[in-house]
Amino acid sequence: MDENMLCTKTHEYILDKGENYEVGITDYAINQLGDIVFVELPEVDTEFSKNEVFATIESVKAASEIYMPVSGKVIEVNEEIVNSPELLNDENYAEKWFVKIESNADQVEFADLMEYSDYKEEIE
Amino acid sequence: MTKQTFLHDRHIELGAKMVDFAGWDMPVQYTSIIEEHKTVRESVGLFDVSHMGELIVQGKDALPFLQKLVPQDIKKLVNSKAVYCQLPNKDGGLIDDLIIYKMEENKYLIIANASRVDEDLNWITRNSLGFDVKIINESHNYSLLALQGPKACDLIRSLGIIELPPFFSIKRGVLFNINLWISRTGYTGEDGIEIMVYNDYAEYLWDKLLEAGKTYGIKPIGLGARDTLRLEASLPLYGNDLDTETTPVEAGLAWSVAKDKTEDYNGKERIMDQIKNGTDKKIVGFKMLDRGIARHGYEVFKDGEKVGIVTSGGISPTRGDNIGMAYVQLKSKNLDNFPVGSTIQIMIREKLHDAEIVKRPFVVKRNKG
Repeated sequence: MDENMLCTKTHEYILDKGENYEVGITDYAINQLGDIVFVELPEVDTEFSKNEVFATIESVKAASEIYMPVSGKVIEVNEEIVNSPELLNDENYAEKWFVKIESNADQVEFADLMEYSDYKEEIE
Repeated sequence: MTKQTFLHDRHIELGAKMVDFAGWDMPVQYTSIIEEHKTVRESVGLFDVSHMGELIVQGKDALPFLQKLVPQDIKKLVNSKAVYCQLPNKDGGLIDDLIIYKMEENKYLIIANASRVDEDLNWITRNSLGFDVKIINESHNYSLLALQGPKACDLIRSLGIIELPPFFSIKRGVLFNINLWISRTGYTGEDGIEIMVYNDYAEYLWDKLLEAGKTYGIKPIGLGARDTLRLEASLPLYGNDLDTETTPVEAGLAWSVAKDKTEDYNGKERIMDQIKNGTDKKIVGFKMLDRGIARHGYEVFKDGEKVGIVTSGGISPTRGDNIGMAYVQLKSKNLDNFPVGSTIQIMIREKLHDAEIVKRPFVVKRNKG
């Protein structure tokens, strides 16, 4: 995982890519869920506020809702993981992001996100 | 405080993900539920099911006592044979579902669900007034291992037990110099056996079976795959598909109710009335027509009207689609408006998804030996 990403307590991450942000869930979360069999992502151009549910994923055992780490507008969704959810469990698959968003979120919205190093300590 | 089986250390060493199940800290998966599921369908898997309850009923009145408790006709059970049955309350609702073995004259073994052992014991004891029987909870003395899959019996034969018990029978055996009980039962729809052994030998037996099974492709299997396997085989899970409000007839288990049993038993009046006159609630199997996954508790609709509730649902690793079971309300007792091939809708996250009623089981069972 990219050391520059910021994480939520609910195991989403956000990564600053300059022009936009990549949003997904952490490797730890994927590992905890086990076999992922279903991914539902929003449509491009949908706007979300911070902490709003933007995606649902299902493992064999249960469905989980995924929350937006900061407010923003979806500009791209990862169709590959919608079509082949099992890619998320594939260690060799690198494109595990869920959506790319444009965001004008201010520092206040970022304040409760954890640095990746702190997140790692939190889950250990 | 969660309970641990005598194989708990082994699960941790094998890297299992542990979850609480009915008050027990149990392995839900070792590597992947889907992989483990396929292992059981294709070769052989080893399960720790020591959380299940073992109750002994013995004494002069053991037979008439059991006759009062269950809808099956226990007097037809001969030594070493087993029967699947339920424990109904006075209204025919189910306190648990069970397997009863006749071990010898006046001595029976009951295998009960982990989540229901206390309720069962309470109910069974309350019903025992006036019967000359002893009810002994042996759950804390025995471990239970299940060896399931098309290669399970080959593996056991290779270990020296040439004559396996027939389907739904039990016999004594010796494996690795350990005395144990072997029964031809399971909860996967595959051929296989379940092994009852004293706790002290459980770890040794587990290790030896995993070692000896290597050439057969054996893997340890968690409760996650146990659930997907039993769902494909359409075997009910107490708490999901069965509860105190549901009779065996409504649950599609009328085949396990003796129609000609003369003795009275708890719930007989309602159960036999439903067998004779039908019921307006029934269990159906369905497959999703899109990628939606139905789960326990989701609502079922037909023609815009709520008609039922999903009891079990999930993916079918064998079929590659999503399946489930639900209770639906019939228009009337004798009008089944949910025939195979008809369409229902499942409400998943506030959207209706089409599903088709299909025959159960969802995969062909191969457990008759």
